[in-house]
Amino acid sequence: MPYATLIPLIPLLPILGFAFTALFGRRLMLRHGRTAAEIVPVGIVIAVWVIAMIVVVPALGHQDPFGTAGLDVKLWTWIPAGRLSVDLGFHVDALTAALLIVVTTIGMLVHVYSIGYMAHDKATWRFFAYLNLFMFSMLLLVLANNWLLVFAGWELVGLSSYSLIGFWYHKRSAALAAKKAFIVNRVGDVGFALGIMAIFVNTGTLNIQESLAKLVEQGAHNTVPLTIVALLVFCGAMGKSAQFPLHVWLPDAMEGPTPVSALIHAATMVNAGVYLVARANPLFSSAQDAMVVVAGIGIFTAILAASIAFTQTDIKRVLAFSTLSQLGYMFAALGVGAYTAAIFHLMSHGFFKGLLFLDSGSVIHSVDGEQDMNRMGGLWKKIPITHATMLIGTIAIAGIPPLAGFFSKDEILGEAFKAGFTWVWLIGVVVAVMTAFYMWRLMGKTFYGESRVDPAVAPHVHESAWQMTLPLVLLAIPSIFLGMAVGLPLGNGLLVGWLKPVFEQSEQILARTPVDTLFGLPVDTVLIGISVAAALAGLISGLYLFGWGSRKVKQDTVDAIAGGSGASRFLYRGSLNKWWFDEINDLLFIRIGGAVAAFLWWFDRTIVDGTVNGVGTVVRDAGGGLRQIQTGRVQNYALGIAIGLIVMAGSFLLIVGQPR
Amino acid sequence: MLSALNLVSQNLNAYLILSGLLFSIGAFGFLARRNAISMLMSIELMLNAVNLAFVAFGAFVSSADPSHAAQASDIALIVMAAAAAEATVGLAIVIAIYRNRKTPLVDEYDAMKR
Repeated sequence: MPYATLIPLIPLLPILGFAFTALFGRRLMLRHGRTAAEIVPVGIVIAVWVIAMIVVVPALGHQDPFGTAGLDVKLWTWIPAGRLSVDLGFHVDALTAALLIVVTTIGMLVHVYSIGYMAHDKATWRFFAYLNLFMFSMLLLVLANNWLLVFAGWELVGLSSYSLIGFWYHKRSAALAAKKAFIVNRVGDVGFALGIMAIFVNTGTLNIQESLAKLVEQGAHNTVPLTIVALLVFCGAMGKSAQFPLHVWLPDAMEGPTPVSALIHAATMVNAGVYLVARANPLFSSAQDAMVVVAGIGIFTAILAASIAFTQTDIKRVLAFSTLSQLGYMFAALGVGAYTAAIFHLMSHGFFKGLLFLDSGSVIHSVDGEQDMNRMGGLWKKIPITHATMLIGTIAIAGIPPLAGFFSKDEILGEAFKAGFTWVWLIGVVVAVMTAFYMWRLMGKTFYGESRVDPAVAPHVHESAWQMTLPLVLLAIPSIFLGMAVGLPLGNGLLVGWLKPVFEQSEQILARTPVDTLFGLPVDTVLIGISVAAALAGLISGLYLFGWGSRKVKQDTVDAIAGGSGASRFLYRGSLNKWWFDEINDLLFIRIGGAVAAFLWWFDRTIVDGTVNGVGTVVRDAGGGLRQIQTGRVQNYALGIAIGLIVMAGSFLLIVGQPR
Repeated sequence: MLSALNLVSQNLNAYLILSGLLFSIGAFGFLARRNAISMLMSIELMLNAVNLAFVAFGAFVSSADPSHAAQASDIALIVMAAAAAEATVGLAIVIAIYRNRKTPLVDEYDAMKR
């Protein structure tokens, strides 16, 4: 199989699809209906999925020509500039392959789903053009073999994310959310760009594999210390993966159409940061101070976002905060050196969170665009497929065995404990309880109890079209079986074997001695027991408070807990207002930052411009004054000459003609 | 009286004073007269004052080195030639301006200001 031809096709096809749809989509849709405009972008993504699977299978199995090191496909030299020589090339190893599975599978299903979801939109062609552009950008980011190409993909996913969040640009909130996402991402990207420059300064190459090898080899002899390089790269990851304090853009990004939230803001783009850190794992393993920062920020984001998800009423926002929380888990895993666990969670989270988002889209679609869970309820019999698949997603994310979420989450918590990061493990367990609880709150409020749907809409509530339910069913399958398929036996499953060569070097550098027993029992058994108990505790308390089947929400008990004491009222308000991060940012950057900017503007206008303009004014006025003596009359000039002559002669006589 | 004149004519300072007077008269004329022709005449006066000084220096200093007298006369002759040329060009300009402006008075000429 000519892999060198197939691999470039993976990003090439979507960009062609984007160009075609952007140029001809509108005309096709107006003349031949929306199917004509959809067939090319959707067909292309299906083709990409097929090609990706052909590439993924041997890449994961370390077969020829991939081997354990991965296959490099160099197309041409992109930037030949003396010492800086950048290739346009791709690198496919097991890590890339794992990401390819997630990106192409969910990408394909979301494309199919969008046919149904966007069936009433006027600009479907534009939506599909952007989706294709996003697929191209994300695949470029994943496949790239050098930092600069990664950065190009990185910025392009940001751009397509911006376009898709603001897809309904006539809605002010959507336009603002798009801008917010773009700007907050830029803050992280500055760090990433500096990180890339630091890598070049240290190693003189931008090729990922070469530069990482050199960075580790040089160790303490690098020009820029590894800790700083790692933290700069992590800055970019923080922006793209919405980690504290750059997490504020992701909840607002839910203003975009729901398929976008599923594809970009849950399953793929936000994972780019996790991918980046995993890709740079030798760098991070050599800079353990930076890893502690990664773990700390990750687990803090996990608990912060979980606490906010408790009180949100918008169904998509709950899921958005849940995404933040799960991404926090992944970074915690990366920070404790459990790279395989992080990628495992990335994959399983990609599937079940993509599923949950598409489910929420199906719910929103069925209740005529309503997103407030207080105006849902009792939907489980009316939309059975959506309900069943969402139930699967909820159990998966809650971490109940044997669904996908259990395996990946348990591996993260177990690895954290065994690596000696007991505090990460402890907070992780608390977050697991919270996750199960708020997810059941979402289920209870949306599907069970009495109906609170708008009476005008209630009669029309219906299950979505097959284009929408088919992806749900297809995503439910990996949500159930992925963990069992690649995670068994625990700690030594298929995925561990696949990714071993990628993370081998890091494991050697870290050289952890695993803890084997705890309280006289095998440590894994104890930890699994604790995390299952945590998940069940959360789920049962959720079941008790928010009901199931026809059981109603125990609103009195909920209110009593939320408003019972001063402390709980404060916690409730804090959670409801997202711990005032938007307000803090407003104060810091809009008010204080604005005042500083206003002062600088005044300084620039008055002092800097004043100096420059002052010099000009003085010269002009002096010239104006001197102009007066230029009369144009010969005799005035002659008088000047005469006076000059007299002065010269006089001074000659006075100075030279003095008697000695 | 004649011997007084003879005494004066033997004195270099007398020639230099005369030359200075002539130059001053010329300079004053050039600055004060409004008529372009008068100004040209004043220029001639200044030039000839300088010539007088040259020749006087030549005559008095030549007692030490006779070749100096000839050199001083050479310079005077060159100045005369230059003066003649200058007068020609000057008069030509004055006539041209006069035809244009219908006046010989230089303070009416302000073309150089533009």
